[in-house]
Amino acid sequence: MDKQTGIAEVVESIPRGATIAIGGSSLSRKPMGMVRALAARGQGDYTLVVDVGGPDVDLLLGCGKVAKVIYAFVGFEVMGLAPHFRRARESGSVEFEEWTEYTVMAGLDATVKGVPFLPTHAGLATDLMAVNHSFRTMRDPFEGEEIVAVPALRPDFALIHANLADHQGNAVILGDGHVDVLCAKAARHTILSAERIVSSEEIQRYGREVQVHRVHVEGVVEMPWGAHFSGCAPYYRADLGHVQEYLLAARDPAEWDRYRERFVTDRPDDYLDALGGMETLVGRLDV
Amino acid sequence: MDCTIDELMIACMARSLKGEVLVSSVTALGALSAHLAKKTHAPDLAVLSTPESGMEVTPLPTLTLGQFLTDDQRGIPLTMEDIFDAIFLDRFRIWISPAQIDRHGNVNISCVGPWEQPKVALVGARGIPEDTSHLSEILYYVTSHSPRTVVEQVDFRSGAGNGAERDRLLGRRGAPTRLVTNLGVFDFGGADGTLRAVSLHPGVTREAVAQGSGCEIDLPADLPETALPSAADVAVIRSADPLGARKLEFLSGREAAQRLVEIYERERQALHIAAWPRRARIS
Repeated sequence: MDKQTGIAEVVESIPRGATIAIGGSSLSRKPMGMVRALAARGQGDYTLVVDVGGPDVDLLLGCGKVAKVIYAFVGFEVMGLAPHFRRARESGSVEFEEWTEYTVMAGLDATVKGVPFLPTHAGLATDLMAVNHSFRTMRDPFEGEEIVAVPALRPDFALIHANLADHQGNAVILGDGHVDVLCAKAARHTILSAERIVSSEEIQRYGREVQVHRVHVEGVVEMPWGAHFSGCAPYYRADLGHVQEYLLAARDPAEWDRYRERFVTDRPDDYLDALGGMETLVGRLDV
Repeated sequence: MDCTIDELMIACMARSLKGEVLVSSVTALGALSAHLAKKTHAPDLAVLSTPESGMEVTPLPTLTLGQFLTDDQRGIPLTMEDIFDAIFLDRFRIWISPAQIDRHGNVNISCVGPWEQPKVALVGARGIPEDTSHLSEILYYVTSHSPRTVVEQVDFRSGAGNGAERDRLLGRRGAPTRLVTNLGVFDFGGADGTLRAVSLHPGVTREAVAQGSGCEIDLPADLPETALPSAADVAVIRSADPLGARKLEFLSGREAAQRLVEIYERERQALHIAAWPRRARIS
């Protein structure tokens, strides 16, 4: 089945209040093209599910599209804290639920396996157990020890950016898969963007690098530089210059409005133009 | 040997890494300590790269934020499942740099002030709860030892320290074992698993530690001076990090960000030269 679609259709298909899992990690292979489109035109009130978040969560928060965030981490690493995440956490304007890296994986995996929860020791003797109201503790029925029950996470949508995909939704991820495959399997609807759409014959040459399989995928959008300003290994690096521009703009409401006007769009071509075009990006970030 | 505080800390951190385990290189100091340990006393370490998880990689410190620049740096690819399996099996080590650490070794990277209404929202617990419930060695470092970073009690426990709750729920799995700061090396051998000095860095007095900490630290009578790295050790660190990414963790946030952007670009240019040596050298 040909699952190729356009970014406008993707935004349209995601209803207000949807729970959206976002792939990638930190500044690596975030589906930023789709995120930007949702930030520009999405219906909003989303619940976001991320393992290691950064520009994805922060941009959607900064554009007022988020009702709740489930996260293990949101930040810009050594570049700094995530400004809109920080503001929203401190003002209490959005609901937050702090999880951990493995428990987000376990929650998605529970959905994949069709079980209500998965057990772990992670979280015990920390304050997460007090602030995360989704976690429960229970008695291990075999040994009687106290363990954490991580409830199944069932996203309505998963957004993932891949290096290559075919029109049926098989996708090659050449770098770290992060939690993308779990997101793709656990979500009711998984949408891929890819640097390039290639034929199904060509995709087979990648063998085990075809990490996402078409039976889990509903839509495919071709989007060169679709992870920018995060990186997409081994094609291009995270754009730290742009991260800096983003962080500076986020400090001031007027600057932030200007940033949004310039860069937050559902038209990928306009975005690339605003960055000075593809050739500029190749010169700065291509590896 | 003349060395700077970052190099001294890296050398102290390297001394705690041994055996055949995966070692995270999620920060520059962590990456360089793993690299130094592997080059000296711990050749069997399997050093990871970040964020594109690969094993057997010589870490480039700025790649803590970046990407593999060439296929050569990819090493043996690992999945998130591989990493967490190694954590749960206690075949993994990581140097963690918390925003706050307290007397009992609880650590915080989640928030300053109450979690529900934080004065400063930090980043979130990430994988620290997994580490502090499974690993037999838990390693922390703090580049700015002060009453704000080394505290009586953390504002939020992102990671489990010592105490009755840990003893009941986890036993010794994931208990804190080491803290290296810019003032000295510490363990948790004080009363009830509290902070105790192991050595103080050259020029650091007992008073400086007492006044520079927000909690009481056990300072044994016969406290040695931290051993300096050898000239060879310092050479390994400097050649692995010629652009000085290790200095960033000692700078303020904005200064560090600016310096990183510069280093990141110089690294890209340098690696392009390595890949295509016939190109003109960019200084």
